[in-house]
This record gives sequence, structure tokens and C-alpha cells, in this order.
Amino acid sequence: MPFSDMFAASAISGSGLSAERYRMEVIANNIANANSTKSANGGPFRRQEVVFAEVLGGSAGAPTFGGVQAVDLVEDTETPLNRVHMPGHPEADAEGYVTLPNVNLPMEMVNLMTASRAYEANLRAAQTFRTLNEQALLILRG
Amino acid sequence: MTPSAFGIDVLQRVMDAAALRQKVIAQNVANVNTPGYRRLAVEFEGEMAKALGTPGGSPAGVSPTVVVADGPERVDGNTVDLDREMGDLTKNGLLYQAAAQIVASRMASLRSAVSGR
Repeated sequence: MPFSDMFAASAISGSGLSAERYRMEVIANNIANANSTKSANGGPFRRQEVVFAEVLGGSAGAPTFGGVQAVDLVEDTETPLNRVHMPGHPEADAEGYVTLPNVNLPMEMVNLMTASRAYEANLRAAQTFRTLNEQALLILRG
Repeated sequence: MTPSAFGIDVLQRVMDAAALRQKVIAQNVANVNTPGYRRLAVEFEGEMAKALGTPGGSPAGVSPTVVVADGPERVDGNTVDLDREMGDLTKNGLLYQAAAQIVASRMASLRSAVSGR
């Protein structure tokens, strides 16, 4: 194993850590905007989701691993927006209904937990790497 | 006695394979939430056992290969099972450490033979 590989290897777990952290940030943003009736593109806020893609280089026989990458941030236009009767609200329509974001708290919490567990798993892999490299260096001591 | 008689060449191969497997597990774990990702695995032990079991077989020709492994698929088409990967991570770490410590002790034996103390 080339010496530089020892560091390339922890970059795999590093990419996983940063991708999961980004996912957690997006989830936190969804939760924070659970009641935002105005967004940058007008209309109520729509929940966002991160798209992950695998990073794999090299050839089929000798692949090089690049971990994972967050390639896109998409708005969820599938889940319907919530409509709540609040006639006093300034955003209420003629019938007194306010259109609220399609943020679903239980769903966001479950996604947050998955992201947090995946973050821990990446951390574990990175820690194991460190232990292995320490062991390899101990051979020199003899 | 040559260094290979100490089994150091075999141990070195084991460490190379374990280091590669460590990277593959890290890749699997990093992609645990990537839709459609197929988990990867390293094939090595079977080949090595075959090479050591056949007369005249040499461990020098054995190198670990990365293969797409099968496993139960989730609804998003991903086949990574986090618990399994964590188990493999621990097992693989122990394998690497065992090999590294045996190499270290063989080296210590060689060193004491050389120094004569």
C-alpha cells in the first residue's frame, strides 16, 4: 500500500461525514421553516432534500474510492402543502385558508436520526483507520 | 532462513488486503444513504488459502480483488447494511492488527538474531 493511501483512505470517511452533516443541516433548515409561509421563490416554503452520489474512480479491476458527494439539493414538490383555516393570518386566501409548508415533523426527525447514525458510522470507520495506521507504524519499533 | 520463511510475505499480503477492505468498508459506510448504491466487498482469503494449499503455489501471485457483493436491497435500491458493515469493520481491524503484531514480533526475532543478543 503506498504511503499516500493511508491519508486517501481517511478522506473516504471524511466525505461521508461532510455529506451527512450537510444532510442534517438541510433537515434542520426544513424544521426551522416548518411554518414559513413566504420563501425566496414566493409561496410557502417547500421541504428540501439532498441527493447523494457515489464517487468512484479508477478502472473496474483497480477502483479508487472517493466516498460520497452531495450532488444536488431538490425541493419536494410531491408532498402536498398543508392548508389550515386561519382567517386572521395576513397570508390567508379568500376562504380564510393559509397554505403552510409541506414539512412533516415525524418524517424530518426520522431522517435526522438516520443521518446522525450514518455520521457516527463514518466516524467509527475513520477511527479504525487511525488505529490501523498506528499498528503499522509500531512494526518499525519492533 | 530467509525472511519469507518467517511468513512475513504472507502477512504483508494479509495487511494489504485488510487495508483495501478497510477502504471498501469506508466507501460502503459513506454511501449508506446513496440511492441505488451496491455494496462492495474484497475477495482474498479464499484465493490465498488455495495458493497456500496447492504444492508449489506461491502467495506472491495472490492479490485482493474488489467485487460488487449482493445483499438484501432496500426500497431505495441500496444494499448497504450498516450493522453488517460495522461488524466487518471491527473484524477487519482485528485481522490487520493481528497481522501487524505478528510481523512486528517476527521482525524483533530477526533483529535479535542479527544482533546476537
